[in-house]
Amino acid sequence: MIQVNDLSISFGDEPVLREINFSLEENKTLSVLGKSGCGKTTLLKSIAGIQTKYSGAVEIDGEQVDHLRPQERGVVYLYQEPLLFPHLNVEQNIGFGLKIRKTDPAVIRQKVDKMIQQLHLEGQEKKMPDQLSGGQKQRVAFGRAFIIHPKVLLLDEPFGSLDSDTRKEMQNLFIEISNTEKITTIFVTHDLKEALLTGDFFGMMHNGKLNIFENRDAFINNADTGVKEELKFWTNLTNKHVKQ
Amino acid sequence: MINRSLFIFILLCFIIPFAVLLYLSVSSEWYYPSLADHQFTAEHWRWFLSGGSTLMQSAVLSILLSVSVGFVSTVCGFFVSRAVAYQTKSKWWLLTAYFPYVIAPVVFAVMLNFYFLRFNLTGTIYGVIIAQFFITFPYAVLFFFGFWNSKIRNLENLVATMGGDFKVTLKEAILPSAKGLLAVCFFQTYLISWFEYGLTQFIGVGKVQTLTVMVYRYISEANPYLAALAGFLLVIPPLILLISNRRFLLHKVWST
Repeated sequence: MIQVNDLSISFGDEPVLREINFSLEENKTLSVLGKSGCGKTTLLKSIAGIQTKYSGAVEIDGEQVDHLRPQERGVVYLYQEPLLFPHLNVEQNIGFGLKIRKTDPAVIRQKVDKMIQQLHLEGQEKKMPDQLSGGQKQRVAFGRAFIIHPKVLLLDEPFGSLDSDTRKEMQNLFIEISNTEKITTIFVTHDLKEALLTGDFFGMMHNGKLNIFENRDAFINNADTGVKEELKFWTNLTNKHVKQ
Repeated sequence: MINRSLFIFILLCFIIPFAVLLYLSVSSEWYYPSLADHQFTAEHWRWFLSGGSTLMQSAVLSILLSVSVGFVSTVCGFFVSRAVAYQTKSKWWLLTAYFPYVIAPVVFAVMLNFYFLRFNLTGTIYGVIIAQFFITFPYAVLFFFGFWNSKIRNLENLVATMGGDFKVTLKEAILPSAKGLLAVCFFQTYLISWFEYGLTQFIGVGKVQTLTVMVYRYISEANPYLAALAGFLLVIPPLILLISNRRFLLHKVWST
């Protein structure tokens, strides 16, 4: 479980995050929707401990982590770019987190094999990152994060650079793996459909403020999220098509 | 056909100067404009290879000196450039790295000389190493500055959130990405040190006789045979480094 209390950050005179408050149950996904520059990345970096100059408090599993370094928080932050290690092959990249934890090689082997199956990357184990497609790279990045089973997984527009088909495929894969692995996740995106598909809970960021919705219906019915506008567009288009 | 001829022409342009040096180093009693009508001797090479020659000592000294300068500059430049790049006021720090290059090397040497005399470094090998370091270190900082881009920073952050400390980050993420650049930087700083004359002569006051200093000495003594031999020796180590590092030098080194 993660709880964020009164989290605020200013860069100079400019406030970037304004008193962010929310909590997220264990093994659930919070989808945060927001436009570029609204403070989504800064929020994730603060939770991960990469951005340390903030006021307020972050609690993970009941422990306040503000004084802890990123490596001590148990939070993995995934960027839009897969950032695979160029000198490691697929299985070595996936097993990286376990290796630096000095896990028994036999256990690493077993877990990596299982993760490769879950990621549908069979036959790609020995390939180097530059031999993979964008979607495959992102799968490896996901596997590398999921395999160490972090307390909280932070995803910063992870499918932003993928084409629409691969993006759809990755969204389904994320839902599939997060159901199996059960990891508390904050999924930041500017894609409305993606937010609706991946989240159990929903939030929207605007000008450094985070609005958390009570449930999916509240998110859909809120005028600012754009869901209604989107629905209206498709309904109008369908009606027009029927009339013709 | 044209490509082949051009290739041979360029190859000859590179080979002929070395061949001339080698030719002169085995010549004696050579007078212009005669090309081959003179005596040939292995005496200069025999003298050099005898072990006790000053030229052999200079060659060994030059290799040790340049390897030290290249290694220390590369390592220091790598980490200092990281610190500079991650500073919010990095451009001001970076500006100071240009300082040794905006003034003439001799003027720079004169400026340094006061401190070197005060710390008894003038005329010593350590003094020459430090003096050359003042040239090669800023070069290495400028060389590596571009490496520390947002991608490397994100990679560092990623490893940190995965539980890796700086040692792990360095070993598993940074060094594998930077190995090509490190090799090239070492090669470049080695070359700067290897061919450095003015500063070495000024701080070394003639006591630190590197191979480059010896070439100038033989030329000023009007001894073209030993100057050619020393000149030939001068090009061998860079050539070996060039061949051994061709993988990094000829390919994209910004591997991230």
